[in-house]
Amino acid sequence: MWETVAQAVINGLLIGGIYALVSIGVTLIFGVVKIVNFAQGEFVMIGMYISFFLANQFGIDPLVSLVVSMPVLFVVGVLIQHFLIRRVLGPNDMPQIFLTFALSLLLLNLALMLFSANYRTVHTSYSDEAFHIGGLYVPVAKLIAFAVAMLLSGVLWVFLHTTDLGKAMRAAAQNRDVATLMGINPNRVFCVALGIALALAGAAGSLLMPFYSAYPFVGQVFTLMAFVAVVLGTLGNVIGALIASLMMGIAESLGIQYVGADSGLIVVFAMLLLTLAFKPSGLGGGRAR
Amino acid sequence: MQNLDKWKALSLAALAAIVLVLPLVVKSSFAIDIFIRILLFSFIGVAWNLMGGYAKQLSLGHAAYFGLGAYTSTILQIDFGISPWIGMIAGGVVAMLASLPIGWLCFRLRGPYFTIATIATAQALMLIFLKFRDLAWGAEGTTIPNLGNAPLMMQFEAKAAYYYVALGLLVVGLAITHLIERSWMGYYLVAIGEDEDAAEAIGVNAPRIKRDIYMISSFLTALAGTFYTQYIYFIDPATAFSFSISIEAALVSIVGGIGTLWGPVIGTILLETTSTLLQSWLGGSVGGVQLTVYSLILMAVILWRPTGLMGMISEAWRRYVSRKPARA
Repeated sequence: MWETVAQAVINGLLIGGIYALVSIGVTLIFGVVKIVNFAQGEFVMIGMYISFFLANQFGIDPLVSLVVSMPVLFVVGVLIQHFLIRRVLGPNDMPQIFLTFALSLLLLNLALMLFSANYRTVHTSYSDEAFHIGGLYVPVAKLIAFAVAMLLSGVLWVFLHTTDLGKAMRAAAQNRDVATLMGINPNRVFCVALGIALALAGAAGSLLMPFYSAYPFVGQVFTLMAFVAVVLGTLGNVIGALIASLMMGIAESLGIQYVGADSGLIVVFAMLLLTLAFKPSGLGGGRAR
Repeated sequence: MQNLDKWKALSLAALAAIVLVLPLVVKSSFAIDIFIRILLFSFIGVAWNLMGGYAKQLSLGHAAYFGLGAYTSTILQIDFGISPWIGMIAGGVVAMLASLPIGWLCFRLRGPYFTIATIATAQALMLIFLKFRDLAWGAEGTTIPNLGNAPLMMQFEAKAAYYYVALGLLVVGLAITHLIERSWMGYYLVAIGEDEDAAEAIGVNAPRIKRDIYMISSFLTALAGTFYTQYIYFIDPATAFSFSISIEAALVSIVGGIGTLWGPVIGTILLETTSTLLQSWLGGSVGGVQLTVYSLILMAVILWRPTGLMGMISEAWRRYVSRKPARA
């Protein structure tokens, strides 16, 4: 009994690390640029396909291909901000919501056209390895993914709090007009925010590849998870998103263990609806918008 | 000005005449099938537009009400033998009632997070219908018993009959939109859509107006659900609560012209025609083509013509009118 609970918690925590990379990206974009990126999960998908093709064609380990997927997606993020999102920043919600939504639809269906709906997997030497601690089972691939995810989140936190650019991003998030008066170029800051967020999504994709299948619809579940985590962790709050993601990973895993194999998402939705009902401003308090 | 009104009335009458005789002239059941799709999705778009277009409450979860309408009438028909005509209204009422708690939750958030909450509620409803087999046939769904030609059970031998039912729904939707557009409610909706805080500051009871329009919009969407199930003789959670229904409802309105009476109709005609042409061109063999093209159209509209096709049409009309010398 105790062991099944602990095992479910470990599984959830490890996958929660990946959710954290995705939701930190969403909350960073929301905090700095004030838009919601509906396509975040699709960039996870792109990261997965990059790692899949590098592994398939050149035999590169998915963890190594992180150094390809992250920069590529960083550049994609800068381009998307500069050529698309910049044009719809304004008081009106509709273009912002539906631009990134259209982007998500576009990427998903392009993937469907180009790569078909087949599941793609990469088998690495450590895909089946696991540590046995007591009666518990810790898969190596998931442990590495979790560790790298936490490392990247830590690097981001240090970047936001110690570098000039990071501080400029936080300033722009707090008050865009005043930040502009202080000589911060908002578009440059927004480009970097989009770049970082997408690079994190790409990292999540590469980290997933040793133990998860890539297929065109794979991003949707990550987008949904990220949204719930971002609401739960108070919008725009990086640490909040991180903690909420880990909690959701655990909740999902316990849901699968005790309600049924396909019930993970039900638990997640229930968490979202309960949060909305009782604490719409997120668990940390703060503003609802 | 009177001249203009006369023109408007004349062109409406001409349109009505064309639309009414269309299924009598066109015999190809392939073509009628497309017309029915256009009428049905126009109607869903019109229902979405009431809330999403005028009040700018951008829902991507209208499949929830489509599905509730479809399931209510089907359960009433199969388990209790009640005619889908009655089931349709019952489905509308169920959807309306469901919109109260769903709206209570989702309206706590604004802007993009409202949108996300609506997605989540529709997905949660789909999961409930998938999971609980006792409720309604689980994931396999069920076929609707074919009674041959039974107009009282909303089953017809001729496809044209379905066409007229869908047309009737669309006319009802357009009439309701027209009435609301002209009423105090329409002005309140637009005020909320422009700036909710400002609207509240001048005394608009925004939560009440949003709740009411959500109820109307859900009711209408549910009618479409019943009709669709009767038309394809089949229901399962994946089709009834399909995310693509929610997407298409919003898409046709935005492409056609958000917050306008005819926008959803024009948007549907463009998108459905495009999709039909693509299908006949590519033979429907490549998955994802249709939505790829839809999303490109949507992006183009958002970036270059946020007022949609209706905006382009009225702009062109204004240019045409101003070029003509004014008559005494």
